[in-house]
Amino acid sequence: MLTDVFTLTHPEKEERLRGELVELLGHHRRHCPPYARILDALDQDGEPATLADLPWLPVRLFKTRKLSSVPDDEVIRVLTSSGTTGEVSRIHLDRAAAATQSRMLARTLGTVLGPRRLPMVVVDRSGVVGDRRSYSARGAGALGMVNFGRDHLWLLDADDRPDVAALKEFLGRHGGSPFLVFGFTFMVWRYLYEVARDHGLDLSQGILVHSGGWKKLADQAVDNAEFRRRLGADTGLTRIHNFYGMVEQIGTVFLEGPEGGSLYCPDFADVIVRDPVTWREAPVGTPGVIEVLSTLPTSYPGNVLLTEDLGVVHGVDDGHWPGKRFSVLGRLPRAEARGCSDTYVGGRS
Amino acid sequence: MTVRMRFPAGPELSVDELVPPPPAMPLAVGDERIMDFLTAVSRRLLTPALARRHPELGSLGFFLRRRELLRGLERLRAGLDERLLAFPRGVVFHVPPANVDTIFVYSWALAALAGNINVVRVSPRSAAAADAILEVLNDSLAEADPVVARTQRMVTYGHDDAVTARLSADCDVRVIWGGDRAVTAVRRHPLAPAARDLTFPDRSSFAVLSVAGWEAATVAARRDAVAKFANDAYWFDQAACSSPRAVFLVGDAARADAVRAEFVALLGVAARDRGSDVDAAMAVEKRVGSYGLAADGEVSRMTFPDNLVATLELATPAAVPREWLGTGTFGFVTIAELAELVPFLRRRDQTLTHFGFDPAELVGFARELGGRGIDRIVPFGAALNFAPVWDGYDLLREFVRLVSVDG
Repeated sequence: MLTDVFTLTHPEKEERLRGELVELLGHHRRHCPPYARILDALDQDGEPATLADLPWLPVRLFKTRKLSSVPDDEVIRVLTSSGTTGEVSRIHLDRAAAATQSRMLARTLGTVLGPRRLPMVVVDRSGVVGDRRSYSARGAGALGMVNFGRDHLWLLDADDRPDVAALKEFLGRHGGSPFLVFGFTFMVWRYLYEVARDHGLDLSQGILVHSGGWKKLADQAVDNAEFRRRLGADTGLTRIHNFYGMVEQIGTVFLEGPEGGSLYCPDFADVIVRDPVTWREAPVGTPGVIEVLSTLPTSYPGNVLLTEDLGVVHGVDDGHWPGKRFSVLGRLPRAEARGCSDTYVGGRS
Repeated sequence: MTVRMRFPAGPELSVDELVPPPPAMPLAVGDERIMDFLTAVSRRLLTPALARRHPELGSLGFFLRRRELLRGLERLRAGLDERLLAFPRGVVFHVPPANVDTIFVYSWALAALAGNINVVRVSPRSAAAADAILEVLNDSLAEADPVVARTQRMVTYGHDDAVTARLSADCDVRVIWGGDRAVTAVRRHPLAPAARDLTFPDRSSFAVLSVAGWEAATVAARRDAVAKFANDAYWFDQAACSSPRAVFLVGDAARADAVRAEFVALLGVAARDRGSDVDAAMAVEKRVGSYGLAADGEVSRMTFPDNLVATLELATPAAVPREWLGTGTFGFVTIAELAELVPFLRRRDQTLTHFGFDPAELVGFARELGGRGIDRIVPFGAALNFAPVWDGYDLLREFVRLVSVDG
């Protein structure tokens, strides 16, 4: 598998990213006053010796504050994430940042998709891509991916029912050579795997790229290993790549290697798993809270973010690609206080 | 449409039977039959085994002792004479908060002591301490006058608007705890024209620490003060209306930094000693809250020595957060004298806990505030002690009606 973005060993990456990120953080500090005030209050002045010394922002801060390093009139797109509590992240992209993120996403995925656009099945409905100025996460995910394919089949109808006839027709036309399948993990399971299995469809030429977590599949005892095993055994689909990414670092995806089970960091990004008590980097094999680092954000201070996801680093420079390999284990629960507020919320909303 | 009877424990009750009819021998203000019952409950709550398991039940047991109840009645009667008489208001409907397990008892006990028929909604989300209290109440019924079981009810129902609407229409006083959202939600249901609400909206609370008073205190006294402050702050995850959100250091700015540093160091120790726990999710929550405040400006320095304590040094009182920022997040501002707080404090502000001040200084400050904010000024350690005067109300007084006779 040829790649030009999964090449750096950990020491090489540590050196290169540290310099680039120090520069980027300085840039944001000069151009994003709220960010500068945060660093000032943290007394962050010394030169960080390692990536782990770089100051991180909690990712949820993009839901509570506007953080942008470019003038409003240079913002060409505001990405929003959907939130369960009505909070949404707002990510401000200028022309350069928007171009970079899609180019780097293309290079990352090109590693597993190859250089040419493939016929594509999107396990979603076409209506999920809506307003082009302000995207939902599901829409943005689908829209970002749509560009990597051609002759698209949107598998679901307006009522989220899979169109089996259309899928059969797609496979009749394209199923004999490599094609791309994209979807959220639980939707791939519910709408593609089960349908393909029940109708005996052959997906052996497919390359599946999926994301979104395992929570919705946990009650069916489906984890990553089971997902891969059953798709392979029941549909022939074996080229499967889970990825981890977030709108707050748009364009950066941590991609599952061909061997399965581990996510890898592209050369312009890294992860640090932190101990949730000391907040120091946790040793390999010890779970903690995931911090994501990327050089892509240039129009907003999103280079170093503490996520609310739990993960574990499995190894460093010992896998299919160089660098750290890791897994996402789940989400931190949302903190709740006891307090006297919020009791009777009355009615059914 | 039915509700679950928690006290007296019993089968489900239909909403039509929810409000008990007046008893043959009506209850009076300070009725002995209620006094006896509350005293029996107090005794049970104060048994060491129970108080060890749920320390908050100890405070409640103390509050319900006969001597405490009589003191409240005396204060009420002091304002009465043979031409001004007090009687129960009738039916009181209580909507206490889900997450402070003892409030429903305080609210109810005072209304019962005033001789009212009571219906208390106990949240389905209430926790172990609430169950323990209900068990004590039910156990105490055996030796009580039957009028108690006939006039006092605690029920649990989900978010059923129809039940709330019915109780609202049928009561004479409605007591709504739980902050702005709860008050607004319950207020959608009309009361009878002569009925009234007693509401407990969102509040914020602070601490004041005298720089000179701290310096004059012994090391042991400082430790003791911080342990009490830690209790005030961490008991309800710093989210109770009385939990201090910020500390005002009052005195010489040049000496305040050292006082703050020592206070913060002792606070970390005290929080750990009392077994407080701040998990990863809460630690992240605190960063989100603190970084957000810093992004807005006016945070000159923030530190996160560990998950338990986060400190935000603020330039002026105006920068002090009234919102909850996560358990163990404390704003610090230095001011020269208490009077500098006057323009900052508002109606929403409830409790000011203090250390190192003269009582006369505090009374003088309260006079200067003139009731525009702050309902209670209490020592460190007393922030969460429920008192019959709460949020500016003398509750017993609110639960009676007055009849005047001009003969």
